[in-house]
Amino acid sequence: MSTHNVPETFSIPVGPLHVALEEPMYFKIDVQGETVSHIDINAGHAHRGIEYLTTKRSMYQNVVLTERICSLCSNSHPQTFAMAAEKIAGIEVPERGIYLRTVADEMKRVTSHLFNVALLVHLVGYETYFMHMMQVREIGQDMLESIFGNRQDIGAMCIGGVRYDLDDKSIAYIKGALDKIETETKDIIKTFKTNGSILRRTKGVGVLTHADAITCGVVGPVARASGVDYDVRREAPYAAYDRLPLVVHSLTDGDVWSRAMVRLEEILTSIDLLRVCLRDLPGGPVNINDRPDIPPGQAVTRSEAPRGEVIYYLRTNDTPQPERVKWRVPTFMNWDSLRFMLQDAKVADIAMIVNSIDPCLSCTER
Amino acid sequence: MSNQIAILLAVLLFPGGVFALAFGLAMKGVDRRVAARLQSRVGPPLLQPFFDIIKLGFKRTMVPAAANETVFLYTPLVGVVAMLVAAALVPITSVYAPDAAIGNLLVLLYLLMIPGIVLMIAGSASGSPYGAIGFSREMALMIAYEGPLVLIAAAVAIRTGMGMGGWATFSLNDIVAYQQAHGSFLFDPVMWPAVAAFCFFYPANVGIVPFDIPEAETEVLEGPLLEYSGPVLALFKIMSALKKVVVLGLGIALFFPAAPAGIVGGFLVWLVKMAVMMLVGITAVRLSMGRMRIDQAFVFFLKWPLLLAVASLAVVVVV
Repeated sequence: MSTHNVPETFSIPVGPLHVALEEPMYFKIDVQGETVSHIDINAGHAHRGIEYLTTKRSMYQNVVLTERICSLCSNSHPQTFAMAAEKIAGIEVPERGIYLRTVADEMKRVTSHLFNVALLVHLVGYETYFMHMMQVREIGQDMLESIFGNRQDIGAMCIGGVRYDLDDKSIAYIKGALDKIETETKDIIKTFKTNGSILRRTKGVGVLTHADAITCGVVGPVARASGVDYDVRREAPYAAYDRLPLVVHSLTDGDVWSRAMVRLEEILTSIDLLRVCLRDLPGGPVNINDRPDIPPGQAVTRSEAPRGEVIYYLRTNDTPQPERVKWRVPTFMNWDSLRFMLQDAKVADIAMIVNSIDPCLSCTER
Repeated sequence: MSNQIAILLAVLLFPGGVFALAFGLAMKGVDRRVAARLQSRVGPPLLQPFFDIIKLGFKRTMVPAAANETVFLYTPLVGVVAMLVAAALVPITSVYAPDAAIGNLLVLLYLLMIPGIVLMIAGSASGSPYGAIGFSREMALMIAYEGPLVLIAAAVAIRTGMGMGGWATFSLNDIVAYQQAHGSFLFDPVMWPAVAAFCFFYPANVGIVPFDIPEAETEVLEGPLLEYSGPVLALFKIMSALKKVVVLGLGIALFFPAAPAGIVGGFLVWLVKMAVMMLVGITAVRLSMGRMRIDQAFVFFLKWPLLLAVASLAVVVVV
């Protein structure tokens, strides 16, 4: 009848360019009908050589450079880098600077999480709710732009403190914006718990069991959704986190829905933390107002980026430039868990599962 | 001879051809604009679907190396022609009655299957794995929704036929005339299961969320349409615009053809019905939910619509 023979198993390329993937990544997927039978994960399309570039710039220029590693974690990178430099030079960040670092960090976390969960809804095909969530996120983006003058690379960090300050007017404005985001986020959580469209596509999809999560060493919301109760903000507090009422959310199902839900709950926690920070904001300078030379030495620092734990290793010598900067980003740890999540998944769910680890390839491949 | 000319005019001018195409594209423009406003976006100009067609007409059609060129290029033409003929089959109360030689419900059902088959063939002829996935999804979906559709049609035909003293009539003119005389099926409790089953059928047939699974952009990159470009892609857009007019028009003819006598009044009432069905039945539906997975949609269709369709047939035969 037909000359077209459809083999039982055929392979489809997902990526390097794919509407559902924000960044270049490549999965060679063998499918049987609609079910994934084998998966080949490939990365490396976005290498920019930033680690090398850091050794060509001075310590203070590198704060700017590390901010450009990733757009959604654009606060965590310079912060962790600055923490490493401060550790080597023994710089004490003023109290107000410590609190303002936390403020910037949590603001970025709110918008980053909202963005990821909105994308999930987009992949489910629920365009209206996607638009709604992006509008909620826009409140946060407006907040960032009003305070820092920029929507993504907020340029808040410097070695020895922060580069911005808050007056009463901007604090009142932030509080108002947070109230709006909180109301909307509670609404979104309710929708995620009850909406059939979202539930039937995300519940039980892309499961990462607790044992697999431990094996892969996943971090961040991916780990917390699989029952690994781990958050750097609690395990190794930096900035002002040891003084704040941090709640770590963890769920046990390890599916796409749980990862989204952990992120949504974390938004509410971040809003609470921001309120406490703004209430307790101490006076004084925001940074050390000096640019001391960083002595030779080495340091490892870590922080909780929106996607999970980011670790910086910094080695300095007598020159103004660092001798070596190396970072390990959360996506690098979460990447391999995709192999477990995509096993026996449906073709329709691939993009959703990949999105659920909130991959950031520009950090991973730097 | 005048018969043939009348049929030809119906296929090419009104209610098929130029009119159906313009109306379908205009409905799409309104749909996109209303959807945008409901999502707090500005949205495209109302005439954007027309601009799209014109722009695509001036572009080049790329044929992938892996594709079967003849099939790849000419299948959409079959779909467009089928939909043009189908549009000439759907009666508009007091305005247009199809020629008795063609105005048959069974013929219309066959014609309505063609766009789905065209998508399947086009998808597999393109040689793209996404087209192949689109093929299998389209096939699964068709198997799921065609069954209920046939049962719905049978229920309508039997209700009309028995009302007219026979057994079953598939003439669309008779179906409309019977309802004009005895009241629309929409207000006939015996026909409610069929109406409900039809409400599940048409979103799948016109391919809107939650049943746009074969062409899901974020999953299979529009599946069968992935490799298409230029005028041939425009043919697909024309086909889907025509299909919307045919399917909605069929719904009106089957269940709610009531309209005043006179061409102007009948036409205005038809326009209002189409607009309401488009806004409530298409725009609102596709905005208010997410996409189903193909296995979920398949099971869903085997459950509710099939059950309703079987029930409607049983009720019609018994009552």
